[in-house]
Amino acid sequence: MASISAVAGAFALVLFFEAVFAGESDQIVAYIEHSDADVWVMQKGVSNMHMATSFVWDWKADRVEAIEAVNRVTPILYLNTVMEAGARNWFSFIVGLEEGDPRAGPWEMVAGEAHPGPGEAVVPSVLSDLTGLGIGDGVSIAGRDFSIVGLSGDTFSMANSITFIAMADLSDIMSTIGSTSYLLVDAAPGVDGAALAARIRETVEKVNALPKAEFIDSDWEVAMQMGLEIIGLMTFIGGTLAIMLTGFIVYTHVAQRERELAVMKALGVRDRAIYAGIMFQVGCITVLAFLLAAGLVSLAVPLTEWLVPQITLSVTAEALLRVGAAAVAVSLAASVMPVRKVVGVDPVSAFHE
Amino acid sequence: MSGPILRAEHLTKTFGSGNTEVRAVDDVSLDVARGELVAIMGPSGSGKTTLVSMLGALLRPSSGTIAIDGVDITTLGETGLSRLRAQKIGFIFQSFNLLEVLSVEDNVLFPAHLALGGVKAARPRAAALLERLNLTHRRVALPRTLSGGEKQRVAIARALINQPRLIFADEPTGNLDSQSGQEVMMILHDIARDQGCSVVLVSHDQRIEDVADRILWLEDGALRDRKAEPHSWVRDPVCGMRVDGWTASLFAEHHGRRYVFCSRRCLERFEAEPDRYAESAVQPSPSAERSE
Repeated sequence: MASISAVAGAFALVLFFEAVFAGESDQIVAYIEHSDADVWVMQKGVSNMHMATSFVWDWKADRVEAIEAVNRVTPILYLNTVMEAGARNWFSFIVGLEEGDPRAGPWEMVAGEAHPGPGEAVVPSVLSDLTGLGIGDGVSIAGRDFSIVGLSGDTFSMANSITFIAMADLSDIMSTIGSTSYLLVDAAPGVDGAALAARIRETVEKVNALPKAEFIDSDWEVAMQMGLEIIGLMTFIGGTLAIMLTGFIVYTHVAQRERELAVMKALGVRDRAIYAGIMFQVGCITVLAFLLAAGLVSLAVPLTEWLVPQITLSVTAEALLRVGAAAVAVSLAASVMPVRKVVGVDPVSAFHE
Repeated sequence: MSGPILRAEHLTKTFGSGNTEVRAVDDVSLDVARGELVAIMGPSGSGKTTLVSMLGALLRPSSGTIAIDGVDITTLGETGLSRLRAQKIGFIFQSFNLLEVLSVEDNVLFPAHLALGGVKAARPRAAALLERLNLTHRRVALPRTLSGGEKQRVAIARALINQPRLIFADEPTGNLDSQSGQEVMMILHDIARDQGCSVVLVSHDQRIEDVADRILWLEDGALRDRKAEPHSWVRDPVCGMRVDGWTASLFAEHHGRRYVFCSRRCLERFEAEPDRYAESAVQPSPSAERSE
């Protein structure tokens, strides 16, 4: 049971890192993912949102809207900056929304208003949990004070958080006149997003237009380069640790039974039968450890999210399959390692005291 | 088949090579008849375990031949040797070597997995053996809950489960109290007498002389004639205690003379001041202190 628990611990570690990785990855592109735009339009040369700056003139927005295949255009302003809340600075993506247009706002509300007016902000509910700030309290963005009017859900992670304010306020902060950052474009019924994006790029000069899926991929890739690689590395280290730990445990397990192996050999059990026994044993340990790990993680994920709300975790079927496949590989590798030990066991040693 | 169950001819086993070569068994030949109980005795390090390991198909000899039931086992491969051990040989070890996770009954039945009839056919035999060795009430117990005597009786039952022609026992009474040791020796005696199973037994226990059909004396890897006297009493030069020179395992040479010691402590004291103890030592001749 101790061996199964130790191996389960290693698998749980890998699953947990995978959950962090998946959760953070999802969160990076959550805003784009939840927008129902078919095409995103931005400044030429820009192809992502994470840590990017983009300016699109209003007249270009009008040109996009004038394209026949376009059903609707929603502009947003966007800024990466630090928000001061509860005597602490929080890195935030600030999204400026047009007043009265709910289209690009928060997709899940925990409390209050979803659409900020002048001098108002909708902040992540997790930020409220962490700072103790609530509706009616104040936050500061780029030296300007805002009053919290709403708490949004699913908008906070270790990598970023999203705060919504009125476009006029953000425009004032950014000192922009007559421009926005991104255009969220809905295609007319029956029009393909990729085709519409190509048409916008051809029709409107000096803009980039990407279908939603491509924009998500592009943003995710940038995020990977900027930070998720570290999480990926942690996952790799966790996986390597799991393999080493499993191999070591199984090897130790066999080494501890060296005398019994010697006795079995002396009694006439062939090496082949011992290998089969070890493989069966390792297989059982691995399968039980994997199931135990999955159970542990299913408990640990909600507990962690409750204790450390700034971490976003996501256990996906893909991650379970990947770790399951790794478990099979670990099982095979761990079975091979003790073979040399078995071969080296001298049946004569059964005679030794 | 009427020949000996075991025939070994000119068996030699060397370990190492060149200057470090050690000849553990040196040109040993012996026959063991069916139903015979043969005891191999000799001082520690004389090569008894190496000899038994070779006779039991666990260790290949450097030279010489071994035939069990007429089959030259030195020509068999590993698979053939494993099969031979499983089907024709039983082993009893000094430290019992029971499989700790298995019950008494499962330990007894373990070798049956390797036999032709399998476990199903062996169950009635296991029940009979447990009954005969007074272990029926301990059938489901785990080895860690057994006494030393019970463990060794389980090991004997395990050795007998496949109805072997030969049993090798290495110091089977070495870890037992006097009464349990006596009991085990009588069981081995009965096995040879009643079942026609040959038993080759390595022991320091002098009581084996009472039940063995034949005593072989191994010294420096070679079989030698057993002296007429059953003991060769000499005195430890340090403490003066009487020690049997045949079976003692602690020796020292000084000025061409051999001294025997009762304990490692006496040996170490002697080695620290050999002249002091050698001069004062009075080593009586074996005949002067002969004892039956």
